[in-house]
Formats: sequence, C-alpha cells, structure tokens
Amino acid sequence: MKRRTFLAGLAAVPVAGCGLSSNTTSNSSASGQVTGEITFQTWSLKPKYTDYVNGVVDAFQKQHQGTTVKWVDQPADGYLAKVMADASAGSLPDVINVPPDLSFPLAKAGQLVDLDQELKDAKPEYLENAWQAFEIPGKGGCYGFPWYLNTGPVFYNKALFQQAGLDPNKPPANFKELEQQALQLAQKKVAMLGQTPTIADFGLYGVKLFDNDKFTFNEAKGVEFVESYKRMYDAGALIPEALTQNYTGSGAKFMAQQTALSPGSAYDLGKFKTDAPSLYANIGITKPITNTGSANMFLHGVSVPKSSKNQATALAFGRFLTNAENQVKFAKLASIFPSTSKGGDDPYFTTEDGSDEARVRVAAAKQLKTAVNYTPVQFSDQMREALLQQLADAMLGKKSPKQALDDAVNECNRLLK
Amino acid sequence: MTHRPYTPWLFLLPGLAVSLLFVIFPFLNMIVLSFTDASALGGGQFTGVDNFVRMAQDPKFWVAARNSLLYMVGVVPPLVLLPLLIAMLAQKVVPGIGIFRTAFFTPVIASAVVVGLIWTWLLDSRGLVNNVVEALGGTRIGFLTDSTLLLISSMVVTVWRGLGYYMVIYLAALANVPKDLHEAAMVDGAGPIRRFWSVTVPALRPTMVLVAALSAVNGFRVFSEIYLLSGGSGGPGGASTTMVLLIQSVGRGLTGEVGYASALSFVLFVILLGLLLVTLKLNRREEQL
Repeated sequence: MKRRTFLAGLAAVPVAGCGLSSNTTSNSSASGQVTGEITFQTWSLKPKYTDYVNGVVDAFQKQHQGTTVKWVDQPADGYLAKVMADASAGSLPDVINVPPDLSFPLAKAGQLVDLDQELKDAKPEYLENAWQAFEIPGKGGCYGFPWYLNTGPVFYNKALFQQAGLDPNKPPANFKELEQQALQLAQKKVAMLGQTPTIADFGLYGVKLFDNDKFTFNEAKGVEFVESYKRMYDAGALIPEALTQNYTGSGAKFMAQQTALSPGSAYDLGKFKTDAPSLYANIGITKPITNTGSANMFLHGVSVPKSSKNQATALAFGRFLTNAENQVKFAKLASIFPSTSKGGDDPYFTTEDGSDEARVRVAAAKQLKTAVNYTPVQFSDQMREALLQQLADAMLGKKSPKQALDDAVNECNRLLK
Repeated sequence: MTHRPYTPWLFLLPGLAVSLLFVIFPFLNMIVLSFTDASALGGGQFTGVDNFVRMAQDPKFWVAARNSLLYMVGVVPPLVLLPLLIAMLAQKVVPGIGIFRTAFFTPVIASAVVVGLIWTWLLDSRGLVNNVVEALGGTRIGFLTDSTLLLISSMVVTVWRGLGYYMVIYLAALANVPKDLHEAAMVDGAGPIRRFWSVTVPALRPTMVLVAALSAVNGFRVFSEIYLLSGGSGGPGGASTTMVLLIQSVGRGLTGEVGYASALSFVLFVILLGLLLVTLKLNRREEQL
C-alpha cells in the first residue's frame, strides 16, 4: 500500500494524542532575499534572558533592514508537545530552538532545511563535534546551527566522603574507583549515586553504542558496566529511587545530600550556592569520570523548517544568532559555552580568578574541545524509558545484566524502524 | 407565534459543534489510527489488526491491564463506603461543620500535580512517613520504590482525592431519604447501626451504584497519581504501569507510536464501555426490584 496521509490537521485525542499530516514544503528558497517577517521560537529563555535575545533581534533587524523577527518563548514544560503539534500541522516557526534528539525525528521526516546543502560555507564556523551532533549519522546533512553547549565536572559531597572514612580530596577518577569508593560508602549507609546509568554513561564507559544502523550497547563491555552497577545497587550504593529516576530527580537527591556524587555543570554550581548552601560549603569538584578521555557534552541548536515561507531570512537569522560574538555574550550570561570555533578563546573561558565558578568554567571549556555528545541522536524518549526499565529489572535481579541489555537493545532497535 | 422547526437545533449548535470537533472527530480518528502504523510525524499505512495482535503479545499491555484492574478493585470499595460515612457525619448540623465539609472537599479542587508532590514528599524513602517509621524503630518502607507498594500508595491518594467529591453526591442523596422512615425505625427500637443498614443503605443503593460506576471508570483509567508518584516511570521496571500511563508512554513525543497508542486507547474504551453497560444493567435490575 502506498504511503498515505489521511485526516490531516488532527485535533488531539484525549488520551492517545495523534497526528498525521503531509509535509508542507514552501516554495521559499534558501538563496532568496533576506527580508520580511520570521518567527523565532526559543526554549524557556524568558524572562531571564529577555534583554539578551531582544538585543540580538534588534541587531539583526538593524543589519538587515526590512526584516522583522517575532520572538516567541515557550516554557520547557510542554515544549515537546508544542513542537509536535506544530510539526503535525506543518506550521513550525521559521527558526526553532531544538536539541539534537528533537531535530533528528524532524529531519528524518524531511521537515528541516539541510544546512550542508544550503549554506556550504557555514560548517567551519562551528566546532566539529557540535556540527556533527546535528547530522543524521550515516546519511549526512546537518539540520541545525549548533547553539549553546554545556559540559561539566562531577560534584561530590566532601562531608559524606569524610563521614564514611574516605579521603575527601581523592574522589573517584575512573569507573573502577567509583565502584570501590561507592561500596565503601555503602558500608556506612551512604549512597553514592542517584540513578542507574544513562546511555551517555555507557558511552563514557567506552561501550560502543551504535553501529551499522543498530544499537550495540549490549556488547561485553556494556554487560560489565551493568554488572558493576548491580554490585553497587546490592550493597546500597544507589538510593532506592535510582531505579525510576531521571537526571533532574537524581540532581535533587544530591542537593538534598542523600547521594554523595553527581555529574553537573557550571549552572548547577550556581544553583547549589543559592538553593543548597550547606551542600555548597562541602562541595568537591572533580573531573568527569570517563574511560574514553572525552567528557559528555549537551547542546542546543536552532533549525529552520522547510515549511518556512522565508527561508533565506530564517537561515540568516539562525547563523547570526549562533555567530561567535552573540554566543560569547550569551555564554557569559548563562553559564554555558559557545559552539563556535572561535568563541572559546575569549579570556573569560581561559583565565581563572580564584573563584569556584571560574575554575569550573575554565575546566569545562578545556574539556569541551574533546567532548562528545554521547547520546545518539536516534535515542528517543521511548528508548530511554526502555533502558531505564530493563536496568531496573537487572538491579532487582529479575533478569541478568546480559538479558536486560539484550532486551533493551532489541526494543531500541525495534523502535528505530 | 410561528414555530420554526430548526429553532431547537440552533440552541444545540454550539454544544454540538464543540462535541463534534473535540470529541466525536478525534474519537473516530483514534479508531482509524488504531489500524495503522502512524507516527507523530508523517503519514501511516493501514496495517490491519497488527496493532491488536502486537498488543496480545506485548507483556507491557498485560501488566498495564492487570494493574488497572487491580487499581479499580482496590479503590471502588473504599470510595463507595468511606464518602458515605463522611457524608453522614457532615450532614449533622453542628457548629463548625462548614470547616469540616470544606476540609474534605479541598483535595478535590487541589491541583493533581500539587497533590502528587505533597504525597511524594510524604512517602519518599527519606520522606516524613519513613522518618517517623524509623524514629519509632522500624525500617524504611519503599512506598514509592516497590512496585506493589507504589500501586497501593497511589490507590490511597486516589481514595483521599475522591472522598470529598463522592461525599457531595451522597450528601445530596441523603437529603432525599425520608425522615419518617428513620423515625419509624427508631420507634421500632432500631439502633444507629441497624438504621444505617436497613434504612440508609437501601435508600441510597442507586447512588451507591452510581458512585461505584464512576469510581470504577476513574480507577481503571488512573493516570495522574501513578504518574506523579512514580516520577513518570511507571515504577521500577515499569511494573506499576497502568493502561493510560502505557498509552502516554507509547504515544508521546515526536517519536511516539501513535497507531499503537490509538489501538491501546480503543481497547481501553471498549473495556470502559463494558464496565458502564454492566453498571447500567445492575441499575435497571435495581429499579425492577
């Protein structure tokens, strides 16, 4: 049967939600004139960064007379639902703020402009690893201007380390030490970790995550990694909530001083200072735990949908917003890092002033040069849930680590289709 | 005055338009989608009954259906009985009864998210309840980390939230119980318990059937409580997932399997319809007796 589109422009079904619609491609050309009105949608930047974004918009409009950029900000809560509804209806904003895992399904469905094709000279302006994060692996094409990046150290609670008889100045430097120290802490009824490993943790451990269009994290190294977590879980080195927890929940447990170690970013350090001063007084900061030599990286970008009626202006704005000058300004405001090849050499990212913030910032900026976005772009929300559930079964002893990983990989590969 | 035959339709039109657009059309669309492999983006192909075959072989579906059934069985008896007892207390005219009635109704109007957060803080492994348990010399209980206890905790929240709502329904029904029946029973020497079973309960039976039907349907399609208490995960290994939680998890986001989620919704609809038909039959039998 032919690929068929029916009942376009659906209203939402109360429980299931649904949407089928054709991909509306406008006739607008990417090489057209930079003029006219565009809509730019960001992910939860108001009200903290209102002045910054308005400044960028004003500067762009001044540089390109005759253009109008209408900025809309969506709160983080419900952002995905909004993008989904707009994408289904073929009415995405002209420039849209998306992380790679959100740009991937849109690009796969043919809804985003390929920057490699439309702006051939743009690639060198960005860090290679950031540009790669918006490519469809194996198929080429880049579907988003990399915008802001983040990476960070590992935070640990020196007081809890001390309480368990560990040297507070010798946090774990690798996964082997992590297990050893976690088991020691567990003997004193202190939990080291707040969640089971994420797909990015498997990457940091050195597990091959994806190969030949298939997930492969059930390889021997992956099993070894889960076995290590199982030993820690059995000893009480993971809090009971770890089996159902995501990054945010796990971070909250670290803030509440219920766990001794948590990966984080410069942004988190500021949060500890204001929201958890007693933790901040005992905070230890160390390098990310990795077997590969590379840290994990998170990033956001901006994409231009093919449905945009003003692609030329949208592309020009996307490039302007993410240029080195604008990104460096934003990074200084928001404890994040620029994804441009030039912005990182600003003294702000290379010189310490003795404060913890500057130390974390400089270390993170250095780390970013080799950092990798370990989460494969194909790794969807449903896959994340499948992995979390299978790991829970492994921790509870309902399945062997090998079986749990095989089941998780099978489910992820099924969902890939 | 002339009678225009279309006048009633004009009055019906606004409501009908809203129903058609937001209820009937999405419902029909859901049925169509349940026979496709539609995703959130792009079209789908008709796949016949593939989704239903997959469902029959999907262990997650059976876990969710079992949990929803258990949930329903767990919440209906307390939601039929407890609000009745509270309504009988709240019916009394004593000083300060308004505060009592308001207190019981507050959980009904409180936001589900706020309620979920409060209960999460209470039942967390380091929460208030566990701190009290530990202070009393007990060991911490995994209210939210053990799949069975998570379901039970969630049922407790559902009952707590529902008490006020069903209490109001019972209050209205209690006002209609003839006082002379109670007086006659008192003259015959019946005590309060006897009067409850022999006068109040028979008079309220149709209301009890209604409350049972409403709480059964709401119990079977529970979402917020279990979602919030499990942090959206459906419990460790997804073992506390319920039907609506499964539908949400399968169909959400840009990568959602909308076809399969629709098929699950369709099955949920059929189950709930069956439940309501059974209740209707019970009610009719009641009227005939």
